[in-house]
Amino acid sequence: MSDLDRQIEQLKKCEPLKESEVKALCLKAMEILVEESNVQRVDAPVTICGDIHGQFYDMKELFKVGGDCPKTNYLFLGDFVDRGFYSVETFLLLLALKVRYPDRITLIRGNHESRQITQVYGFYDECLRKYGSVNVWRYCTDIFDYLSLSALIENKIFSVHGGLSPAISTLDQIRTIDRKQEVPHDGAMCDLLWSDPEDIVDGWGLSPRGAGFLFGGSVVTSFNHSNNIDYICRAHQLVMEGYKWMFNSQIVTVWSAPNYCYRCGNVAAILELDENLNKQFRVFDAAPQESRGTPAKKPAPDYFL
Amino acid sequence: MEVVVDDKDLKAAGAQPLPDGRRGLRIHGWEIESHKGTILKSSTFQEWEEKLDTTHLPEMVFGESGLVLKHVKTGTKIHFNAFDALGGWKKEGLPPVEVPAAAQWKFRSKPFQQVILDYDYTFTTPYDGSETIEMDTEKDGNGKILDSSSSLQWEDCEEKIDMVSLASKEPILFFDEVVLYEDELADSGVSLLTVKVRVMPSCWFLLLRFWLRVDGVLMRLRDTRMHCALMTVQAQSFFERAAGEKPHFKHYLQKGILLILLHTVILASLVRGFLLSCTGPKSLKSLVICSVVN
Repeated sequence: MSDLDRQIEQLKKCEPLKESEVKALCLKAMEILVEESNVQRVDAPVTICGDIHGQFYDMKELFKVGGDCPKTNYLFLGDFVDRGFYSVETFLLLLALKVRYPDRITLIRGNHESRQITQVYGFYDECLRKYGSVNVWRYCTDIFDYLSLSALIENKIFSVHGGLSPAISTLDQIRTIDRKQEVPHDGAMCDLLWSDPEDIVDGWGLSPRGAGFLFGGSVVTSFNHSNNIDYICRAHQLVMEGYKWMFNSQIVTVWSAPNYCYRCGNVAAILELDENLNKQFRVFDAAPQESRGTPAKKPAPDYFL
Repeated sequence: MEVVVDDKDLKAAGAQPLPDGRRGLRIHGWEIESHKGTILKSSTFQEWEEKLDTTHLPEMVFGESGLVLKHVKTGTKIHFNAFDALGGWKKEGLPPVEVPAAAQWKFRSKPFQQVILDYDYTFTTPYDGSETIEMDTEKDGNGKILDSSSSLQWEDCEEKIDMVSLASKEPILFFDEVVLYEDELADSGVSLLTVKVRVMPSCWFLLLRFWLRVDGVLMRLRDTRMHCALMTVQAQSFFERAAGEKPHFKHYLQKGILLILLHTVILASLVRGFLLSCTGPKSLKSLVICSVVN
């Protein structure tokens, strides 16, 4: 058994790698990812997965439902880390699978694959806690810069973490972005990872936060038409039912973190496409408590004031 | 958030757990119960949007979750739920808070046909609980709820919540924390409305907290505390609200109960995550219900 196969077995048990192993794994991953396009070509059949957010045991449920990699070809739409308890193990397992089976798993970047966001929402703290230093966080966030920004399945289904950008009307415009950087605060690369579809606008909307685009049905119609694609598949937003179509089936949101943050009670979904691009959503629940290794802690009575 | 409670403590305090696996207990004429459910399904979510006349709700609305405290004999019911809290948000209608990146965005070329949304995406609410006087169907005898529309009449008063007695470590007979709604502000911070309660042999005490952090901009805290003594002749409850005025209190006498409520508001500026300044609670407006526990 090679070192890599042993590491994959170890990660499947939710045991993190040594710091030196992480460093070596990231170097190998970098060599593979640097060759990928900003619009990475993906062949069908493929199974598309949305946000995971460090919910390692729920991702194991996902693999139970969808089948193991490399037998199943996977496309993950980003947001592997933050919020859940096991961002380190989750991201390293996906990255190890990528290095071992580069043509059977595609990882694209979500807005949480960023230095700034991971310092606020958990991944940074988790690395510090599990390794006693931030080196692993540095290796991982350096790899984030190499992740592709989108994928195109059989030239027919465009996949991205967030959504569209007013600066982008053709796929070629995405291909020209220099992606090897921290996610910027504005511009096309930022929009692809951050924007959301919105029912109440037809064209473009600006979020009340003063930053962040919202796009309506006519924007999607025109993008799909000019790029000759059937529909857009994206993640980024929690959906109680695991997936949600909008704008007459021109865009679908796929969400793959069941019982999000361990308290929402939502189901998760993955989208399976066969070789003819026929769709099947597979809906799944969170992993049962007993399979999570450690039992849930009963909190002590809280004498709050 | 369940706590294992000693049966002996319950018995000594004259309390009984609620039957059929319900979360809560009966104690000194009060029935205190919490409910926990999942976030709203898409269909219910849309119904709420219509009822509240809005196109936006927090991404996580725990519509079936709540806390109910009912004084059975008087029908006095105090409860906490997401729907009423969001009604308060809609009514207050604060202007949106701009995130730090907004400054840069002002220089971006605007797409043709751009709409700027301007609702309060922080879901800040003035909500301090819901209340009704509800007569039991048993009392009425013909299966009708006699009066569920009247609200408690709070009056100014001098009493305050006795924080010293609350600091004593008497056994907690029931504890729970319930999230009513939560939003991640599209990864720009957090907005969270929770209520937690603890019931001890001598009193019950609850804290309803609206907590907001807009990363790099501000923190906002709106607390409502309610206290009700169970063992003494008088029971008390407080309500205080910071409004930039000098403190004053209100009280109201109602057979069987005395409640005290306290509401505080804190607004702080954040720059790069650090607290810069903190205002409030500047003044307190409080309401007390006083009466003799039978």
